[in-house]
Amino acid sequence: MSKKIIILFFLFFSLLSYKVIASDADQVNTDSEDFNTTTVEDEIYDPFEPVNRAIFSFNNVADRVVLEPIAKGYKKLPSPLQSGISNFLSNLRAPLVVVNQLLQGQGENAVQSSGRFIVNSTVGVFGLFDVAEKIGLEEKEEDYGQTLATWGVGDGFYIVLPLFGPSNLRDTSGMVLTMMTDPINAYAVSEGEAWLVPMRTAVNAVDTRSQIIDEVNALRDNSVDYYAAVRSSYYQNRKAAINNVDDSELTPLPLISIEFE
Amino acid sequence: MKFNLIIVIFIIFISKNLYSDETSQWLKREIDIILEAYKNQNLSNENRFLLIEKTINNNFAGTGIAKFVAGEAWKKSDKSTKKIYIDNFKRHLALNIAAMMQGYSDQTYELTKSKYDSKNQVTLIDMEIFSDTGSVIVTWRVKESKDRFFVIDLIVADISLVVTKRSEFNSMLKKVDNNLSKFNEVLFEQNQISFNKIAN
Repeated sequence: MSKKIIILFFLFFSLLSYKVIASDADQVNTDSEDFNTTTVEDEIYDPFEPVNRAIFSFNNVADRVVLEPIAKGYKKLPSPLQSGISNFLSNLRAPLVVVNQLLQGQGENAVQSSGRFIVNSTVGVFGLFDVAEKIGLEEKEEDYGQTLATWGVGDGFYIVLPLFGPSNLRDTSGMVLTMMTDPINAYAVSEGEAWLVPMRTAVNAVDTRSQIIDEVNALRDNSVDYYAAVRSSYYQNRKAAINNVDDSELTPLPLISIEFE
Repeated sequence: MKFNLIIVIFIIFISKNLYSDETSQWLKREIDIILEAYKNQNLSNENRFLLIEKTINNNFAGTGIAKFVAGEAWKKSDKSTKKIYIDNFKRHLALNIAAMMQGYSDQTYELTKSKYDSKNQVTLIDMEIFSDTGSVIVTWRVKESKDRFFVIDLIVADISLVVTKRSEFNSMLKKVDNNLSKFNEVLFEQNQISFNKIAN
């Protein structure tokens, strides 16, 4: 009998709890202490902010004058061509992704990424077609910055790199490591085709930029402090990448009270 | 006894799914109003934005978000300054969402996943927006209160709109010594610039 009462109580409470608690939330007056849930701003160490802002302004002009118009032109290319270029570039990154997955102890992911590289490089015609995705081999990105973070290396200070954009000390070190150890770049240099390295970087930048034209413009045109908005976005995005967050449920939830307008 | 327990769990599972479905249906209706406004060629840019702004203000927890992003400056301010700030913020939020949705207006979308987070009493709804070259996922965080739903956050590429706004506002508020009244001037000015861009 007592078990039945417990079950009934449990059922009643479960069915009504979110309704009741949601109503209660209306009665709660938020206090500034409630806002302490989000400490992203406080965690960003930006001691060189004036210099960073100057570089950011330069990058912003370079983006408006060079990168964005090229990205918009690229966006007008036939979709299969854009997808092909994007897939090809992504496939070139795969060997280093595997290395970083191994360095992070992600054996299963490393096997999956190796499988992707083999399938896409062969059946997918040098990576132009993402055949692997269709057979369930999902793309996962890992880089040295994420590996260093997994090993416990902190962010270091925030830095805006000329042309490369937002970064931090750890991720910049990761980027240098990528440049030094990338087997595709090393092969190009050894074959006397060093020009391919900056070319690859530039095409990568155009391809990435073309995928976020609307989002960047919406942010740039509607920010009271575009620099701070980009800095915060960079940190949120990197934090999710380091923690391998695939589900938005795991993104920090701001405590917001619901009030009638 | 075990059978009863299974029934109970089943009912809870079904009720939560029904709840998520109801939230998704509501969200789809509101998103469609915004996207239809972009497709309606009979509307002037200004009227289109005003329609979208009305929809956003009706469906976002504007005041709660405004308080959250103001951080410490909120506590220091008087009632009339807060009121002006909330009005400014709501327009700012509408301008941000409208600019973002404008980019998605010529694309198709689907609400692909809906999940109720019972711990935080928030429903997370994934909206997959398709283009010729791929898709992007926007996650809407929705909370219910007094039989109404309110959007409390949007997440694009793991980036929360509300967290970004809080960081951005904090940076600007520091420059004006957390004076919300002075910040209102900055926000009003930015709103004018953004409004002119979207309306012309």
